[in-house]
Amino acid sequence: MKESKITKYYPLIPVCATYLALFIIGESVPGMWQLVAMLAFYCAIGQAFNIFLGMTGYVDFGYVAFMGVGAYGMALSVERLHMVEGIGMGVVFLGLLLAVVLATLLSLAVGAVALRLRGAYFAIATIGVNEGFRYLIEGAKLWGGSEGIVFYGQLAKALGSETASQVSTFWADVFVFLIAFMAACITIVYMRSKIGYALTALREDEDAAKVMGINVTKYKIIAFITSASVAGLIGAAGWALKLTNVFPPQVFEIHYTVECIIIVLLGGAGTLLGPPVGALVYGLAKYWLSVIIPGFQLFIFAPIILVVIVVFPEGIMGLVKKRWRGTGLGKFIE
Amino acid sequence: MKKNMVMAILGFTALFGLVFATGAFGASKIVIGNPECLSGGFAKAGEQAVGGIKACVKWVNETYGGVKVGGKKTPLEYKLYDCESKKEAVTSLIERLITVDKVDFLFAPYSSPLTLAGAPVAEKYKKLFMDHGGASDRIFQQGFKYVVQTIGPGTSYHLGTLDMIRKIDPKANKLALVYKDAEFSRDVMRGAEKHAQTVGYSIVFKRTYPEGAADLTPILSDLKGHNPDIVLGGGHEPDGMLLARQMADLDINAKAISIIVSVTLPSFYEGLKNIADGILGPSHWEYGVTYSEAGAKKLGLPWIGPGQDEFVKLFKEAVGKDLTPEYHSAEAGAAVLALVKGIEMADSLDNDKVRAALGKLHFMSFYGGWDVDDTGLQVGHSMVDMQWQGGKRIIVWPPEAATGKPCYPLPTFSQKAKGTLCIPK
Amino acid sequence: MFGIQLAGNLLQGLVLGAVYGMATMGLSLIFGVLKVVNVGHGAFMMVGAFVALWVFNGLGLSPIWAIPAAFVLGMALGFIFFHTSMKRLIKAPELASLLATFALGILLEETVKLIYGADFHGYNWIVGKVSMGITVMPMSKIYAFVGSILIALILYFWFTKTRGGTALTCVVEDSEGARVCGINVGRAYALSFSLGIGLTVASGVLLTMFIPVGISPYMGGVYTLKAFVIAVLGGLGSPYGAFFGGLIFGLLENGSYSLFALIPGLEPFAMTRFFSFLILLLILLIKPTGLLGTK
Repeated sequence: MKESKITKYYPLIPVCATYLALFIIGESVPGMWQLVAMLAFYCAIGQAFNIFLGMTGYVDFGYVAFMGVGAYGMALSVERLHMVEGIGMGVVFLGLLLAVVLATLLSLAVGAVALRLRGAYFAIATIGVNEGFRYLIEGAKLWGGSEGIVFYGQLAKALGSETASQVSTFWADVFVFLIAFMAACITIVYMRSKIGYALTALREDEDAAKVMGINVTKYKIIAFITSASVAGLIGAAGWALKLTNVFPPQVFEIHYTVECIIIVLLGGAGTLLGPPVGALVYGLAKYWLSVIIPGFQLFIFAPIILVVIVVFPEGIMGLVKKRWRGTGLGKFIE
Repeated sequence: MKKNMVMAILGFTALFGLVFATGAFGASKIVIGNPECLSGGFAKAGEQAVGGIKACVKWVNETYGGVKVGGKKTPLEYKLYDCESKKEAVTSLIERLITVDKVDFLFAPYSSPLTLAGAPVAEKYKKLFMDHGGASDRIFQQGFKYVVQTIGPGTSYHLGTLDMIRKIDPKANKLALVYKDAEFSRDVMRGAEKHAQTVGYSIVFKRTYPEGAADLTPILSDLKGHNPDIVLGGGHEPDGMLLARQMADLDINAKAISIIVSVTLPSFYEGLKNIADGILGPSHWEYGVTYSEAGAKKLGLPWIGPGQDEFVKLFKEAVGKDLTPEYHSAEAGAAVLALVKGIEMADSLDNDKVRAALGKLHFMSFYGGWDVDDTGLQVGHSMVDMQWQGGKRIIVWPPEAATGKPCYPLPTFSQKAKGTLCIPK
Repeated sequence: MFGIQLAGNLLQGLVLGAVYGMATMGLSLIFGVLKVVNVGHGAFMMVGAFVALWVFNGLGLSPIWAIPAAFVLGMALGFIFFHTSMKRLIKAPELASLLATFALGILLEETVKLIYGADFHGYNWIVGKVSMGITVMPMSKIYAFVGSILIALILYFWFTKTRGGTALTCVVEDSEGARVCGINVGRAYALSFSLGIGLTVASGVLLTMFIPVGISPYMGGVYTLKAFVIAVLGGLGSPYGAFFGGLIFGLLENGSYSLFALIPGLEPFAMTRFFSFLILLLILLIKPTGLLGTK
């Protein structure tokens, strides 16, 4: 069945609809914005992480380092440039740019070492980068060392106090929404292109793919760098700009990588809708549990995760995809 | 298939709806909202803070009779969530507290990074943000208008210690600083370094160790090589104990050792027994401080709040077990008392008016003095130094608050292993 | 002076490294046989630490008794977890078992927190010190050192000289071939998992003999990371590799302190951490399967 150019991208519609719905709920219902922002954050990191994990099956345990370095990009831009006359919102945009640059550089460095490795070795090598980089910052007192960078005051000087407050509590989150959507677009473009086919082949059987003449390394690198740069943007917007501070132990915490993994797995790795679905389920469940049984939510969560993994390891969307393949609605699911 | 989709949509809506499902309260109470750390890295401190807040809220409602505002006495109510020591949760929970639960005033969660995470949201909604557990000076350099600090700033922690030792033994001059590489402990180190230089100490060793270091032997061997008279250091709970323990292992015998945060906890002595004897620790508050209503009157300050023993009793009831209150609980409780005073002074629940009143407020409670400067930084409270003597916590400095004399110099670790205790002569 | 410091640090590092290495043997074993990375590794060590606490503070016995107690408890836990969850995940994608072990780790942490609270505990086992000129070594650390080596040796004998052990080695090499030879592969899986967990929990006791403070439900995270690095250093499937990897790691971490202390403007301790990860990456560049890895 020949797919027309447009129907290829139908699965973007449910994703778009979900993000739009979230945004509208956040804007119209009082008190929901921060929660919606948190969900958007989870969606974004899930989508970004999925660009690499979903398509290649490789688990980058040190993923949070890209978010961390992106956060530093934003923080450094505000800290060093806020005194420039008339720069205003320029510090924010420069911060985003710097975030992408730093994340890309780091991913090149990591990729050079780690992408030659497979499976668990890859996962652990990436942890090595994450931890190593964090200790380098602390040990060599780079960028403020362990004291991090606190820049609310400087942001306020550059933007004016009112705007700074708006940016940090609203616009930063809007950026996260946009980034999540961008990540979704990138995912589907990749999936429908040569890159996607090559990586699916790789995921199924890497050696066979190589034998078939597929330049496995090139595509791995593309996916890896893309995933990392988006992570940098998320770190810049969702962490630095929103919280107006960056502390090394917080932005390099491995816990966030694990959350990415949970979100993607729960939703369905390698699918387009998987990360948003996983993010919503995970974020809402966590929030709800922390409201009704404060202090006990992890205790309940852990066995739930266990049950989900054991009973349906291909994730929610993986199951849905299988059931609806070939049907009318199936065109919208990927 | 359609059925599944409908189920899924219903499921999502239900999840969203449940998240909503708390109503506002009745109008005749003053509600304090607090996204505290009940789990995660700061769980212990969070538990203490919650106990302190609950104790003082109970005192205000039952003994004090309620907050006098608008001619009526209104009770306090305390609304609590668990932020899991995570910054993302802090912002979403604060917003929920403000917009859904419609609390009147906000308390920050324990720790500087989390207080910093929540401050922008509080600022946006122009809500007072009571900082009881964030000692970082930097919080007050950002231009926040609504953050008010009750805990003393980090830079002041070891100042009294240095003064005390200089008074007892002016010849003890070689100082070693070994702190955790984290914002708060670096603040303490900075303050200690500056003051030490002013007073005339010679700093022979100054190094930090990272978060999560499991074995401090290399850094301590290095320290030992410099033969310090005095050792100041620490970070938070676990590394404080590790520091003491490994100093004992390596036979580092200084004349005085002062470690922040962990020394004041009973678990310090429980875990280290004799090793802990004689070790000093600065504290915002220790049971036994001699602040009293009479003392406040002498200084011309208003007094509010339970007496020490009453606070301890209320605290134990609040936590439901025989747990000793530490300074985390006292400072949180004192923040409640400050808020009450602020509301009464402003005679209003308007956050701006109360904030202005807090700026002018200067009072004393079981916790000690309280006074903030224009940025909200706490300047009216002084640290005390305590020392383990014979297994008991004795407040040894400053003389106005002391319950006993300091024991100096410290017996060596081998003496302590054989049973010698640090008791002043 | 520098030489003495360096030698002292290296010695301490060697002792600590033996404990780290022994702790990682369980991780490597589980990966070698089941191809599962136990992300909850640190949580199991934490359980062992609490067993030591309970034996010493609660029962008043020397922590050495805690070692077999922890081992037995670990094997029991491993057995239960295997049959309830891990068994179904052997054929599932790698990620699934990763998350499952992570969830197990959290479950352990929260359960221990319910029982003991979020407090930090410690215990005080004083059995004297040995002054070695270059440094001072408490006897408890020496016991930990000797204990780690003994356990590693016992494991070596078990793997090479007994039927059960050699059967496991066969399964690691080739599970299909082993099945053809009549080895009950399913039981081999169960045994390795239980054994691996048993070793990990027991190592928690040894760790506390080296560092008897800071015991709390959330203490495990740091050790999981270290274990990963050590396991890869030594080769992920090889328990002996893990042991030697641990020794090297301990030497590097502690030894490099003296070198970094010579460079002004740096915090040497944090730099040692950076350095050990740097070495990890270098080894992975040169010999990706680790020092003693075979695949």
